[in-house]
Amino acid sequence: MKKWISLVAIASISTAALAGCSGGSSGNDQTSPSSSASASPSASKPSGKPVELTFWGDWSGEGQKQFETMVDAFNKSQDHIKVKYVLQQDMITKFLTAATSGGSPDILFWDRWRTSLYAPKNVLHPLDEFLAKDSISKDDFYGEAVKELTYKDQLYGLPLTVDARALFYNKKLLADAGVTAPPSNWQELEDAAVKTTKWNGSKLQVAGFSLGDAGLFNMYLQQAGGTMLTDDGKTNFNNDKGKAVLDYWDRLLNQDKVYKIGFEQGLGESTDAFATGKLAMTYNGPWMLTTYKKYGKDLDFGVVPPPAGPNGDKGSVMGGFGLVIPEGSKHQQEAWEFIKWWTANKDNALLWAKTSLNIPGFKPAIEDPFFQDDPFWKPFLETLEIAKIRPTHPGYSVLEGDALIPNVQLFQQGKQSAEDTLKKAQQQGDKLLQDNAVAE
Amino acid sequence: MASISKLNRHQARTAYVFITPTILLFLIFTVIPVVMAFYFSFTNYDVVKNRDWVNFDNYKRLFHDDLYWTTFKNVAYYTVIFVPLNILLSLGIAMLLNFRRFGVRLFRTMNYMPTLTSAVAAATVWVWLLHPEYGLVNTLLGYIGVTGPAWLAQTETAMLSIILVTLWQSIGSNMIIYIAGLQGVPDYLYESAKLDGANALQRFRYITWPQLRPTTFLVSTMSIIGALQLFDQAFVLTQGGPGNVTKTPVYLIYQQGFNQLQMGYASAQAFVLALAILIFSLINMRVNKSEESVV
Repeated sequence: MKKWISLVAIASISTAALAGCSGGSSGNDQTSPSSSASASPSASKPSGKPVELTFWGDWSGEGQKQFETMVDAFNKSQDHIKVKYVLQQDMITKFLTAATSGGSPDILFWDRWRTSLYAPKNVLHPLDEFLAKDSISKDDFYGEAVKELTYKDQLYGLPLTVDARALFYNKKLLADAGVTAPPSNWQELEDAAVKTTKWNGSKLQVAGFSLGDAGLFNMYLQQAGGTMLTDDGKTNFNNDKGKAVLDYWDRLLNQDKVYKIGFEQGLGESTDAFATGKLAMTYNGPWMLTTYKKYGKDLDFGVVPPPAGPNGDKGSVMGGFGLVIPEGSKHQQEAWEFIKWWTANKDNALLWAKTSLNIPGFKPAIEDPFFQDDPFWKPFLETLEIAKIRPTHPGYSVLEGDALIPNVQLFQQGKQSAEDTLKKAQQQGDKLLQDNAVAE
Repeated sequence: MASISKLNRHQARTAYVFITPTILLFLIFTVIPVVMAFYFSFTNYDVVKNRDWVNFDNYKRLFHDDLYWTTFKNVAYYTVIFVPLNILLSLGIAMLLNFRRFGVRLFRTMNYMPTLTSAVAAATVWVWLLHPEYGLVNTLLGYIGVTGPAWLAQTETAMLSIILVTLWQSIGSNMIIYIAGLQGVPDYLYESAKLDGANALQRFRYITWPQLRPTTFLVSTMSIIGALQLFDQAFVLTQGGPGNVTKTPVYLIYQQGFNQLQMGYASAQAFVLALAILIFSLINMRVNKSEESVV
């Protein structure tokens, strides 16, 4: 009898463990709710009461204020649409529930790489008709960002911000080590890193160059002249190009010893290794400019586009956000008005840029002196010209996180050879890509 | 007789009324979701669009999913080291602090404190403490001439660091449970043992340990379940790296379900994890021979 009690107890505890994994599944499995009798022209426009739109994003604090600045400006600019920003900390999970059971927002702040995963599920509304009607040209936006928002020749959003990593360097550390100009290719980067590195016994005092993020493999591979995936969606790094990247990293890390694994792990903003002069050079994005500028005279730094690889190839990875309209929105026409106002208008895109210190996806806005005459923005604009988005395969992030990076980390710590690393990453990666290919 | 059975019936009715809310909540938030998850594990459910029956496809895929079994190996390693250490240390500290003496409460409180901090906040602080160059741990090691490793970044030490941090955080509450257990052991047993000439070790071996069996069963079962569901500390401390050595099944379940929209496959993964928890708990029950002494 007692045995039974404890058995039942265990069973119920382990089922309770499961319960956590299946929440939020109300049975609405039809593709999109009938409410998407969409894009009905808003006939009732001047009826006095403005259409209320909900705009979801997951930026809080400063970011929330920046969004609200834009929303307020839009609400003042006309009187038939009223947008409200709603902060959703766990936005994607909430959106999944909202997309199936009603309560969908009208505009969504969108991490662009998710498009290839969500667009096939019919939860985003294509924008091509809106673009055509308002004769807005895709060519006014960064092409790579538009590509990332496209699935099967349909466009699902407009780019709000673009970013890419460039090389930050500490001017003082480089000058002290006798490096006169910031590096422009791999060899110069290595030389500068060797010169700026300082060891005190077994303690690393100043690291010449950051090798903390194995996830930058994609960027280096572009510089070596390679691509992550083939056109038919298979891994494409188990070759000379991939080997070149690993050999370069191995040289920097294990022979030149310009870095130590774990050196930057856990250093928050206040103790950031680059800001505190413990790191001479690092790849980072425009989002760090504000932080580093706060240090004023204590941190004399510059930015240059990423150094070119052995054959002169350049590369960086473009990321950033867009705005999309969910299929479940009841006011898609009005939502489009808002997106168009924000992303496809030079003045507003510039207002957004100055408010949030992001590079807007709308190219005419970056012609402004605010960007062109600034020594910190300029190198990022140059980098964006050559930057490529991550492959739009829906399994790409899994390939990177579960197959490539772990194997590269083992390689960096001398646990497996470069050949094995590339081979294993290829085998495991191809399988993950296949398993995570989109199911329509 | 009739009046007694009437009373019984009345009591039974009242009892059902009292347990109804709990049972209802249990049904709605536990039983129904579990049944649904079981159903989903045979479909290609993606939350938003598809929910087609795919037979055993998810389980077949699971069978060939090397990464999933790697994560199992990781938590198995974690569990095998974590659970015995957890019992040993909590019991040890509980015995040290099981006195009525001035200042003991202060020490109990101090040992309990780590349990009160949020797992994520504590892990963040530990990332700092374990930093290879500036962390307190390696600074102290430096004083005795040892160059400490990059605890969280090296494959050899990453999982050990997680064990260390989670132990630090879970010992407090188990210590309290053990102190309660120790205080439930009747004094006369010790007295008579002393009269018979039993030394401290023998008293522990033949009185304390057997008397604490239900407590140990509780502590070990809960730690096994917690260990197999390891997620937040591991995520904050190492993000599953380096080289996948600290990725856990729950991490993969979350990733497949919410990031990759493969809720059907994630449900299958969750069921296999639940099965593993059940098996481990049964083994634990056998080891504890708990049938006789529980309750």
